[in-house]
Amino acid sequence: MSTSTLQHGSAAEHGHDHEHEHHHDLPWYRKYVFSTDHKVISKQFMLSSLFFLFVGGAFALFIRWQLAYPGQAVPIIGDILPASWATNGVISPEFYAQLLTMHGSIMIFFVIIPFAVGMFGNFCIPLMIGTDDMALPKLNMWSFWLVPPAGLIMMAGFFTETGYAAAGWTSYPPLSAQTGLAKFTISGQTLWTISVFLVGFSSIMGAVNYVATVLNKRAKGMKLFDMPLTVWALFITAIIITLGTPVLAAGLSMLFMDNFLHTSFFLPDNLVTNSKYFGGGQPILFQHVFWFYSHPAVYIMILPLMGIVSDVMATFARKPIYGYKAMVFAIAGIAFLGFIVWGHHMFQSGMNPLLGTTFMLSTIVIAVPSSIKVFNWLGTLWRGNIQFSSAMLNALAFVSMFIIGGLSGVFMASAPVDIYIHDTYFIVAHIHYVLFGGSLFGIFAGIYYWYPKMFGKMLNETWGRRHFFWTFVTFNLTFFPMHILGIGGHMRRIYDPNVYDFLKGLGGINETVTIGAIALGFSQLILVGNILWSMKWGKKAPRNPWKANTLEWAAPEHPGHGNFDMDITVYRGPYEFGVEGRQDDYWPQWEKGASVTVHHHTIAVTDDAKTFGAH
Amino acid sequence: MDGFFSVFDMLAWFPENISTFGQELDNLFAIIYWVSVAIFFLTFGVLGYFLVKYRYSPDRRGYNYHGNSVVEITWTVLPTLLFAAIGLYSDDIWERTKYSSKVPTADVEILVLGKQYGWVFLYPGADGTFGRNAHNDRTARSLMSATNPFGRDTADPAGFDDVMTENQFVVPVNANVVMRGSSIDVLHSFFLPHARVKQDVIPGLWMTIWYNLFKTGKYELACAELCGGGHYGMRAEYEVMSRTDYDKWLDARNAEVNAARTPQPAPTATTDTAAVASLR
Repeated sequence: MSTSTLQHGSAAEHGHDHEHEHHHDLPWYRKYVFSTDHKVISKQFMLSSLFFLFVGGAFALFIRWQLAYPGQAVPIIGDILPASWATNGVISPEFYAQLLTMHGSIMIFFVIIPFAVGMFGNFCIPLMIGTDDMALPKLNMWSFWLVPPAGLIMMAGFFTETGYAAAGWTSYPPLSAQTGLAKFTISGQTLWTISVFLVGFSSIMGAVNYVATVLNKRAKGMKLFDMPLTVWALFITAIIITLGTPVLAAGLSMLFMDNFLHTSFFLPDNLVTNSKYFGGGQPILFQHVFWFYSHPAVYIMILPLMGIVSDVMATFARKPIYGYKAMVFAIAGIAFLGFIVWGHHMFQSGMNPLLGTTFMLSTIVIAVPSSIKVFNWLGTLWRGNIQFSSAMLNALAFVSMFIIGGLSGVFMASAPVDIYIHDTYFIVAHIHYVLFGGSLFGIFAGIYYWYPKMFGKMLNETWGRRHFFWTFVTFNLTFFPMHILGIGGHMRRIYDPNVYDFLKGLGGINETVTIGAIALGFSQLILVGNILWSMKWGKKAPRNPWKANTLEWAAPEHPGHGNFDMDITVYRGPYEFGVEGRQDDYWPQWEKGASVTVHHHTIAVTDDAKTFGAH
Repeated sequence: MDGFFSVFDMLAWFPENISTFGQELDNLFAIIYWVSVAIFFLTFGVLGYFLVKYRYSPDRRGYNYHGNSVVEITWTVLPTLLFAAIGLYSDDIWERTKYSSKVPTADVEILVLGKQYGWVFLYPGADGTFGRNAHNDRTARSLMSATNPFGRDTADPAGFDDVMTENQFVVPVNANVVMRGSSIDVLHSFFLPHARVKQDVIPGLWMTIWYNLFKTGKYELACAELCGGGHYGMRAEYEVMSRTDYDKWLDARNAEVNAARTPQPAPTATTDTAAVASLR
């Protein structure tokens, strides 16, 4: 176990000093660009994800405009849209397919995963286990530096003959594989495959590092069950990534070869197409390979945030997590079950219906650990002393929106119900309740919570609450009515619902959703404004602004390379709030002191000889 | 205000159901819906109550309590039982609607193919049997082309009277309709919203789709799987007819087929041209 000691890493030194005043300092490009410091890498992930959040959001607003006002010119910017996107400002059906593909791909691969795993994994793991950096800092640096090129490659689809990839973020072949283009032609689809392959690789490099760090670099005295739930969640997520992502890489490689080299992994015989290169392949194979990764990927996108939300809730409810070990086992249970449920995306795919039974039952089982988590969060609030900070508000939004997203998941887990709602807006509503209502609110909670440690400044609370309020209201205005669209039978990914008589009554709802979406998009400017403004003009952050227990708050106000300025030894679990026999209502992990556990309570004692575990 | 509250009565938004198993699926949806509503109000009620009751006060402190095994086992077992019940009940319905062993004997058999961007249908015609085609003979798949999507063998006499329609089809009411579906290019999904039927169709495989509709009238078929830019327009109409109307319709198609065959035997060229014109 390493214990970090750092003599020179005071807060003032890092931020605004000129590097040439310290001859031992690294050159600027090693400090801010190709840095191996986990905190800098974390900020890099944050910036790139924020950038892509707005790119992906802009794509979504185009989609929403078209659905609410089909055939009408996009306002304001309609005239300046390129000819391949729109004619007279009206989005073309082909571009619409590109929009939905890019929206999904960017939000999943370049926003949620890098935020959840890249940003928080990097920032939280070394600080929360009390060490100086990741186990493999160079690998860590490269895990970030694959993301910008991958993003550029995906966006470069614009310059190809066919435009962006247009087969949906799921890219099911044959649509995604049968190109009709000559061999070695670079198309949006090939670029998409390369890009996703690269971000996948970035994930794997990060994940290997997280596992190595958590297992080898915990501070003195920190047992696995002394780790905060954030670290547990990220650790288990990292294991999912190392097991799942290579499988996606295999699928992507095959898809790439079908496109670029005219192989035929996924193209069956006797297609009626303008391409001559097909035969012998199996389209459903891709779906199995894809979902074997992409279902666990759903948990990659939500488990870290479950950990973060648990930590935020414990801190602001001033209470220990209710059933800490059950929370850990629930995360592990979800992770394991996540690998045996992928077929529930394929109930109507033509997979043997017998497998539908298997996958339905395993999927329904996953509701159990999820409900354990929800109940434990409620238990954590019980008899707490709840402070409604911006971080806490977002964490509470996570819990409540996750309840809705979880419940709507039960509908599609039931295979017969899924017959009707599959590929409708009901699914779109569900995924957004889980990935926006869940993951993104969790991400916001984490940003509000750790910003002081990241930048040494406090975020503006008033604007934080405004951001929360507008996001929460417009989020529900945007995504709740989508359930109704789905029940009405509105298919996802259709360009113009007015083609169908049975969808004619849903126009008003589509309009409501669009208005909500526009407001939701603009609300996020508050967050960006707050982040940028506070970096320069925010109040200076104290060392432990939230009076929290976990080790990152033992680090200096704005920790430099190496993190800690004192020896870290861990004496107890991460959630000792309201301990009897103590002046303060919190008891940091690094503070010396003895306690006994009586009937699920921790009581501080003065006798050092009688030290017991805190839980 | 009525309109506002109708947003929360989600079940009212379903299109009218016209299939025998559709009612069962809708009922299952309703069961899960009401269970969800109950859980929603329960959890949100508790959450709201805690947030108000335990809001910050400077002279209180949080209760140091790490959890209770009895409580935790209870709230593990209860949802397990609830969800297991939903799962088993769902599986019962799933088996009856989707298992291939449970497909009823066909009163009417139709082939359907998805293509970019439309649907084609093949009826066995007056003799009640299909000629050699890509469904009943693997080797006939090499005959599939844009003009002959079903890969029909023009030399097979049993196939002379097969009737092909485009973007429209007709089924009799109260009859077991069994369709074999496939695609000639990319994935499509055969979606009859009113009949609560959805099945992806995959090039190279034939999927069995069955239903029994109890209400006559005109309804829509949509594609529910992204299949390219024209995906949204992959619409077809179908009509549920009384048995006599259906027979009349078949006779009329048969007459058309014969009329087209008499001058020159080229059955592949026969399509329901009148119907196509009315739709496109």
